[in-house]
Amino acid sequence: MKALIATYLRELRAYFFSPLAYAIGTFVLIVNGILFGIIVSFLADPRSAGGPPFEYFFNMTWIVLLFITPLLTMRLISEERRSGSIEVLMTAPVTEAQVVVGKYLAVFTFFFSLWLPTLLFAAIVDTYGDLDWGSVLSGYLGVLGVGALALAIGTLASAFTRSQIVAGVIGFALLFVFFFVFGWMESLSNSELLKRLFGYLNVGGPIQDYARGIVGTRSLLYYVSTTVFFLFLASRVLEAKKWR
Amino acid sequence: MIEAQSLSRKYGDFTAVDGVSFAVDEGEIVGILGPNGAGKTTTIRMITGFLPPTSGRVMVGGKDLFEDPIPARRQIGYLPENVALYTEMRVGEYLAYRAALEGMSRADARKAIADAVERCLLSEVAHQIIGTLSKGYRQRVGLATAILHQPDVLVLDEPTVGLDPKQIVAIRELIRELGESRTLLLSTHILPEVELLCNRVLIIDRGRIIDQGTPDRLRERWRGNPVLRVTIKGAPAEAPEALAGLAGVLTCEPEGEEGGFRVECQTDVDLREAVFRLAVARGWVLLELAERKASLEDIFVRLTTRDLAVEPAMEGGAA
Repeated sequence: MKALIATYLRELRAYFFSPLAYAIGTFVLIVNGILFGIIVSFLADPRSAGGPPFEYFFNMTWIVLLFITPLLTMRLISEERRSGSIEVLMTAPVTEAQVVVGKYLAVFTFFFSLWLPTLLFAAIVDTYGDLDWGSVLSGYLGVLGVGALALAIGTLASAFTRSQIVAGVIGFALLFVFFFVFGWMESLSNSELLKRLFGYLNVGGPIQDYARGIVGTRSLLYYVSTTVFFLFLASRVLEAKKWR
Repeated sequence: MIEAQSLSRKYGDFTAVDGVSFAVDEGEIVGILGPNGAGKTTTIRMITGFLPPTSGRVMVGGKDLFEDPIPARRQIGYLPENVALYTEMRVGEYLAYRAALEGMSRADARKAIADAVERCLLSEVAHQIIGTLSKGYRQRVGLATAILHQPDVLVLDEPTVGLDPKQIVAIRELIRELGESRTLLLSTHILPEVELLCNRVLIIDRGRIIDQGTPDRLRERWRGNPVLRVTIKGAPAEAPEALAGLAGVLTCEPEGEEGGFRVECQTDVDLREAVFRLAVARGWVLLELAERKASLEDIFVRLTTRDLAVEPAMEGGAA
């Protein structure tokens, strides 16, 4: 446990000291700000259909999420391997799982912190109009759930290689499959069974429900279990890759 | 303390380490010596548990390094060849992180860090960011990390590589100090270093241990044949043949200035007198006649010259 906490704190520090993390943070702030601005001006127009602003917001966030998660995770393990610090790390009395989980929790914490400024949007809406806090919370839960899974995929990708770029590309490709390919398979499948299977696997699908305030146990379970599965794979890869 | 049992390591078809067995007893300082690419780092990495061997096993303090890794790793302090540190951290913070990774309590960690900082002479840079440190200081931070958890065994891979001469002296001094109370295994390709620090040396070449023993014994073995340096005024044409014709001479080659020869003799033969008498008989003027001692550098060259490296393990060292 101590080793896990030590890894977590050290990694979290590394994020808050890295220029890339700040670039990503700025990107997220700008994109979310613009998105929120557009939504507000759209809804302010009397011709618009109207509706809760945060539902629009959460329906769009996954695009941001898809871009930033591979960027956040790509250095996680590959950088240790490139610099060689993995040698002193993996000869310390720590297990692969402790290292992977510690690092993952650090990137998740950083990811979480990226969304905190958007609470201001909620405060603004709450001040000038009605806000259904319940559906906002469920929307955030959706973002964090999808984010958790995406970050776990990125962590696995980072365990494969010593190159951050390669890790980023692998992570993005895997995410693409989970976000889009499964969705396509679902809508372009003639077999009822396959349709249902890919419906389950499609990560992006339940986001609309979350945005509306519907928390699905099934999707939550899916996010958590796949996250755990990918982290397990990542620690196995780290173990098997020792021969490098 | 450390026991390597027929360790082998293959990278694809290439065999980097081939059936290496050795043991290091408690309190011993053992050096692994060999040319670059001989398999030193691969061996070290298997001893520290970073690299699983293709076959064979490693026991540290009676525990199998790959069956029972955590307690075994706890007993080892390791300084890898390329000391990679987290450059954005301060020295003190990094050591605190390492102490936590070793599972030390806060109080123990504080004491251990203070001790390591003092021993490795890091106090003036303890608050500095690692990225701003020189190579010598980084090496010391690496050493401080290795001794932090008071391991019984220290494993150092090329601890002085890439340092300037002053830093090398300081690091060697430190290693010698650390070796007084610990079992120490270090690899190097620098013979004087081995000579200075180690009780026992393993010589590795092409993935095999080709010889082992105390530095004195090894020097004796690897010394090679006695060599005479002869210079004859005017460089008479018949000189090479006449010198080569002396009983006990193996080769005679021109060397250096006009009339200079390098005469290699059989082991334990002193031919200086014979050369002198030959010169007198032929009426040559001897400008120089000296026995050249095999220097450590010669041995080093002999070792690092691949095609010579294997045979001299035989008695007498006929290279």
